[in-house]
Amino acid sequence: MTMESAYAQALWKMVEGGMSPAKAVHELRDLLKARGREALLPRIGRAFARIAEREGKRTGVTLSVAREKDERAAKSAVKQILAEFGVEPKEVNIHVDDSLIGGWRLEGREHLVDASYKRILVDVYNAATRT
Amino acid sequence: MDTSTVEKIVKEIENIAPSHEGAHVGKVVSVGDGVVAIDGLSKAVMSEIVVFEEGKGKKLKDSMETQGELYGLILNLEEDGVRASILGETSRVSEGMTVKSTGRILSVPASEEMLGRVVNALGEPADGKGPFKKTTMMPVERQAAGVIDRKGVSVPLQTGIKAIDAMIPIGRGQRELIIGDRGTGKTTVAIDTILNQKNEPKDKRPICIYVAIGQKESKTARIAQQLREQGAMEYTIIVDAPASTPAALQYLAPFSGVAIGEYFMDQGKDVLIIYDDLSKQATAYRQLSLLLRRPPGREAYPGDIFYLHSRLLERACRVSEEKGGGSITALPIIETQEGDVSGYIPTNVISITDGQMFLITDLFNKGIRPAIDVGISVSRVGSAAQTKAMKGVAGGIKLELAQFRDLEAFMQFASDLDKETADRIESGRRMVEVLKQKNGAPIPIEKQVAVLYAANSKFFAEVPVGKVTAVEAQFTQFLDAQYAKTLAEIKKSGQLSDDTKKKLNIAAGEFQLAHKELFSST
Repeated sequence: MTMESAYAQALWKMVEGGMSPAKAVHELRDLLKARGREALLPRIGRAFARIAEREGKRTGVTLSVAREKDERAAKSAVKQILAEFGVEPKEVNIHVDDSLIGGWRLEGREHLVDASYKRILVDVYNAATRT
Repeated sequence: MDTSTVEKIVKEIENIAPSHEGAHVGKVVSVGDGVVAIDGLSKAVMSEIVVFEEGKGKKLKDSMETQGELYGLILNLEEDGVRASILGETSRVSEGMTVKSTGRILSVPASEEMLGRVVNALGEPADGKGPFKKTTMMPVERQAAGVIDRKGVSVPLQTGIKAIDAMIPIGRGQRELIIGDRGTGKTTVAIDTILNQKNEPKDKRPICIYVAIGQKESKTARIAQQLREQGAMEYTIIVDAPASTPAALQYLAPFSGVAIGEYFMDQGKDVLIIYDDLSKQATAYRQLSLLLRRPPGREAYPGDIFYLHSRLLERACRVSEEKGGGSITALPIIETQEGDVSGYIPTNVISITDGQMFLITDLFNKGIRPAIDVGISVSRVGSAAQTKAMKGVAGGIKLELAQFRDLEAFMQFASDLDKETADRIESGRRMVEVLKQKNGAPIPIEKQVAVLYAANSKFFAEVPVGKVTAVEAQFTQFLDAQYAKTLAEIKKSGQLSDDTKKKLNIAAGEFQLAHKELFSST
């Protein structure tokens, strides 16, 4: 781990721990100044942005459907799964992916639930041709 | 697509029940040189298999045309993600790709159907002869049998090579290193050992596994062809991880080989496994470790390079009767540079194994083949893994050869030597000739015993040194034709009784009478 990403991680943990971002940055700046490492600040900022982006992707949940009109049915189908994830239905990003053919696909928080017709058809094809 | 496949698909579609598949996933952050950094997969475990999801966003037709699933092997668990090695083409992985956890520790299929086949490091068929129908999954990493589960090594594993069976005997469950420079006949010794198992009765014949690591495909194809032609493929499996495969597969191949071996050992069978060669596996592991950013140690190898080989070779053992009584005999091969056995990897493997046979370039170039230096080669199991018959005839050979090597330097002063020294040199020269052997022609144990008995009885004393090999071949042919019963008796009893010795003496006498022209040392 590089020095800037270590500082960025620390900053992320401070903010996650409940400290206000302004205070966390202020304290970090003081620390860097005391250690003569102030020049690292821009790079720490970029590393922090990368962590924030990654965490955003990690916590975000996307529901993919084949057609826009499938959205309602899919949302009701994933209700229970979303509850398990601790995600409100309104927080879910909707994505239209016509390659799914039908059904839905829920992805986020290190989980993937695939109920698309494409997955089922590929499984059928694989079972028939690869045994 | 043929009609039967279409029918199968129709049937499958008719039986579809709506379902959804859940998986623990991560995302590819970066990829390069066969190693991929994955964000997420926080519940993944070490050595777990992950699947790269190649179909996302692709049309159904393209997804179906994907050439099999692409797997990865988790090798590093880090604070904010994992690093895995791609077990296939790196070009199939892209940034942002979803990676699914399987919850499975890497395992390979194993079954009797594999006999006679060539498989890759993942146990998948690599010879185009179709998939295996019924297999059992065996974990690639498994704890070696403990002390209580083991049994002493006492049953010989015949190599069919006189110099080895007589002086460096190998037992079933032993680990005997074959070490030498390139082109000294290491692979030949290993392949001859496989070929010789044909001389064993079917119920006692070991299953042979040849693991080719980082070898040229042409070499492996040649070996497979040779084994097939000589009828040895029926009890042999080749695990092939050629030089063109990713380093991860070259590192995995020996473990896959031994996992397949354990499948047979668990059934109480004997297994012979050849790792050709562990130097290349160590190099592949070094490459992988450096790419995984593990700290380099001596010669840039990672700190656990010793453990890599020790945990592999410890799995060679002979288990107790309660555990089925099976065994795995390992013949690892190490390639040295300029005869330097003090290198890092050679010394590691020497210290792990139960003995080693050194193959020397000088001997090879002098025409002494197999080019085994019996002076420094050793088997730590020793005569415990020899039949009584072989023990009886081999006892003095090592000493005789050692004395010969000491006196060899004086050969140029032959005319000034006393008779005893001259005789010892002559006898040593003939013994060296007797121990020479063509490649691809292993000799059954009973014939080895007969020839060595004859050699000890000064049968070759009157034969010109240059003709010893030819006379030996004729003598064994003669024994085969006229004294088959005596040979069978040696094979069956494993002993050299006084009666058998008498018969061999008579046979030698008869042969000398019939071929007087061969016995004039001038």
